[in-house]
Amino acid sequence: MQGEVRLEELTKKFGDVVAVDGIDVQMPPGEFFTMLGPSGCGKTTTLRMIAGFERPTAGRILLDETDVAQVPAHRRNVNTVFQSYALFPHLDVAGNVAFGLKYRRLTKQEQRLQVKEVLELVQLAGFERRKASQLSGGQQQRVALARALVLAPRVLLLDEPLGALDARLRRDLQVELKALQRDIGVTFVFVTHDQEEALTMSDRVAVMRDGRVEQAGSPREVYEEPRTMFVADFLGVSNLLEVDAVGEEHSRCVLRLGDRTFLAEQGETDARGKLKAMIRPERIGVEPHGAPGDNRLPGMVERAVFLGGSYEIHVRVLGGEMLKVAMTNEGNPLTFGLEQGTPVTLYLPPDALRVLRPDPEPDAGDEEGQTAPAAVA
Amino acid sequence: MSWLRNPWGRPRVLGLMTVLYILWSVTPVAIAILFAFNNGRSRTTWQGFSFKWFTGSVGSVFHDPALQGALKHTLLLAAICVALATPLGVSLALGLQRWRGRGGGTVNTLMLFPLVTPEIVMGVALLLLFLRVFPGIGLGTEAQVIGQVTFTLSYVVVMVRARLVSIGREYEEAAADLGAPPRDQLFRVLLPLLAPAIIASAAITFALSIDDFVVTQYLSSDASTTTVSMLLYSSARGAPTPALNAIATVALLITLATLALAFLVYRRFAGGRDATAVAALEV
Amino acid sequence: MSSRWTWRLVALPGVAWLSVFFLVSFYAVVSVALGNQDTLSQPVPFWNPLDWNVGYLGSVLSNIWHGGQFLTVFVRTVAFVALALGLSLLIGYPVAYFAARHAGKWRGLVLLGLILPFWINYLMRMLAWINLLSADGWGTRVLHDLGIERVFLALGLLSSRGGWLDGQSSTVVLALVYGYIPFLILPLYAALDRIDERQIEAARDLGASRFSAFRRVTLPLSVPGILAGTVLVALPMFGDYYTPDLVSASTSTNMIGNQIDQFTRQGSEKVSGAVLTLLLALVLLGLMFYYLRTTRRAGAEAAE
Repeated sequence: MQGEVRLEELTKKFGDVVAVDGIDVQMPPGEFFTMLGPSGCGKTTTLRMIAGFERPTAGRILLDETDVAQVPAHRRNVNTVFQSYALFPHLDVAGNVAFGLKYRRLTKQEQRLQVKEVLELVQLAGFERRKASQLSGGQQQRVALARALVLAPRVLLLDEPLGALDARLRRDLQVELKALQRDIGVTFVFVTHDQEEALTMSDRVAVMRDGRVEQAGSPREVYEEPRTMFVADFLGVSNLLEVDAVGEEHSRCVLRLGDRTFLAEQGETDARGKLKAMIRPERIGVEPHGAPGDNRLPGMVERAVFLGGSYEIHVRVLGGEMLKVAMTNEGNPLTFGLEQGTPVTLYLPPDALRVLRPDPEPDAGDEEGQTAPAAVA
Repeated sequence: MSWLRNPWGRPRVLGLMTVLYILWSVTPVAIAILFAFNNGRSRTTWQGFSFKWFTGSVGSVFHDPALQGALKHTLLLAAICVALATPLGVSLALGLQRWRGRGGGTVNTLMLFPLVTPEIVMGVALLLLFLRVFPGIGLGTEAQVIGQVTFTLSYVVVMVRARLVSIGREYEEAAADLGAPPRDQLFRVLLPLLAPAIIASAAITFALSIDDFVVTQYLSSDASTTTVSMLLYSSARGAPTPALNAIATVALLITLATLALAFLVYRRFAGGRDATAVAALEV
Repeated sequence: MSSRWTWRLVALPGVAWLSVFFLVSFYAVVSVALGNQDTLSQPVPFWNPLDWNVGYLGSVLSNIWHGGQFLTVFVRTVAFVALALGLSLLIGYPVAYFAARHAGKWRGLVLLGLILPFWINYLMRMLAWINLLSADGWGTRVLHDLGIERVFLALGLLSSRGGWLDGQSSTVVLALVYGYIPFLILPLYAALDRIDERQIEAARDLGASRFSAFRRVTLPLSVPGILAGTVLVALPMFGDYYTPDLVSASTSTNMIGNQIDQFTRQGSEKVSGAVLTLLLALVLLGLMFYYLRTTRRAGAEAAE
């Protein structure tokens, strides 16, 4: 199978600013691979290097085992769907889609046929003569997709292609794009800052920060088993508790929070000292006040928000920290009240409690990429 | 000044002032145009309507050799100036926009200077250049063309660059991504996208050339290199007939028609926002 | 086109053109100004800076220093330009303000009215006034009937009845205003149009009256536009010679441009003409740099 991308020690500097800092990533053929991260994390620069728009400062870009790092964009068999689509305004839809076919040895007849087929694939049959400016955002996005796919690239690069669309259309297109990718089996390399989009669509996600890959893995892995605080925080809501790791018991880590003791099965269970433990809101159980058992923590309801499908409950716990709890709406009335001030007990299951390796202390504000240049975004 | 106190009132005083200003700025020219149609020799006393100063057999724009020659020479200069300044300016704009490294800033400043240099300074400088450095070229049509290209070039560069900035690099990258080699990125994508700006700048160059006076006058040699503007200057005070008004009117119509055309082209292909920028470009 | 030299090559013809016909021609002015003249009083430029002869420059400077003819012309030029700019701002600012803020549905039409003179040949606009202000012209009659002529006569701004075109300084200044004001109004309009309406609303919300909102918000915010527009108009005005020539035709209203024109194009004192051109250019260089710097900064801000 074709379409494997491997990045080795890939580095890009803009003057003194390091946009991509020696990353090693493997993108298996036929997969939907997502680079996820805040603006300025280097994801778009990485994509632009794979496309050939930026010349790497160092490192290799292996496309099916061939280093293409120094090959100009027009000689690489990868194609891009641009964030703003970059549809040529002086050409109609057919002209846009046929643009790259000119560089294949094809008769006019064959060209026309291929344009027709790919427009059918993206459900735009009959739009050949329209100008780009006469199309809706979603339609423009499909033309951009068709224009790239008609060249049968080994890898399709997508730079936040859904960013410009409204929320509803976006959700529809996420599903469609994923289905399309599965059908045609082309490797998709997708760049986004939207964690939900990344989790929904990808086979594999690389979470990036400050020009490095913080963690790569399946959506489930990066969500359930974040290796760092940054990943835990960037992907969904997470509760972080400041705890003391004091020992080990049956390969579980013993954590102390005030006078309470907890067991944690996940993460760096052999770490010791002051560190953070993390738990997802949906894994916390809410029980009536005084419920007995281990790994339990008393608290007081501060606020409960009804979200339709679930409740989001903010509980102030021992030590003053606030935990967010997501509780599925089962349809039945709750067995106990959730009014403000109600005392409750939270159950933090050992298999949901994750000990995190402490981050190398980041500069304040760095996470939003304020220190990185705009060009990296 | 009651509108100052009444928060909802419209400032009538300012409105009145604006109307008066526009009347003041346009009416004299309108009257001058009116007298181009005067059925008599006076440029100050109305003697009835006539086309005689345009088409009449004696001393009219289309029959008097001096007037005809000036009109022809004006259009000739404008055409050559457009033919030279447009390609030079487009390539300079492209080169400057993509210039990486040293020297770009200096060239950019050099390019902008003709826009702010008083014309008499350029006129004297070019006069001395053709008298003392290029006596082979000397004064006359060639010198006039060179002089006009030298100051219109910058207008082309500024307009084309503005469009280049608003186009950005993405379309070229998209073309490269789809397999187009650099040559095709330029000819299949960038130049078609630049076309509105190129056409508009050609039109403005044409109009600037027709209206130019100082440089053209400084570099003229004899009567055969007289333009309409020069004719207006030399005969305004002693002009014998309304034929002068008539030839000025013809030149004005040509200028305005060219600009209107350019404006329409630009608005059609580049969107209204940029079009107002073009209209205000000379600012 | 990845090679950094490709694009420089593309720029080369334009750069070469400007180098020869702008830079070298300016160097020719310097070489003539610091050169000599032959027995036929034709200029002999000294190209080598080591040969430069400051004799002509010296005599022009000493003429200025001792209050000679050139000083008079310089002072008159500055006075004319300053008066014309002041009047132009007085008329132009309110008009630009109305067009930018209050023209409402008439905005397009008003803008057309403001841009139109821009594209009418300057000399034709002067010709129009020459027709109107000649002894039996309509303008002369209207000015007489409205009593304006009498006011001008009383104030000493006009030397004889109907003599508007007979070497009157007032006519020259007013002609300069008429000629250049369109070039001032458009930058003013652009500057005022750029001001965010919400900032003025905010000032009003914070208790400013309409007038004090104008004085404390709009006016300060438009100062850069006023300066840029003024400089933009001042530059060609300083080099003008045709306006005084056309509406006055008298040496009593000579501006520096007229002096240069009489020396270089018409006459045979090209060396002195080159010296004056050089001095004028040096004096204006500061203004040119100021304008280029401010517009570039504004352009950089707009591009963000």
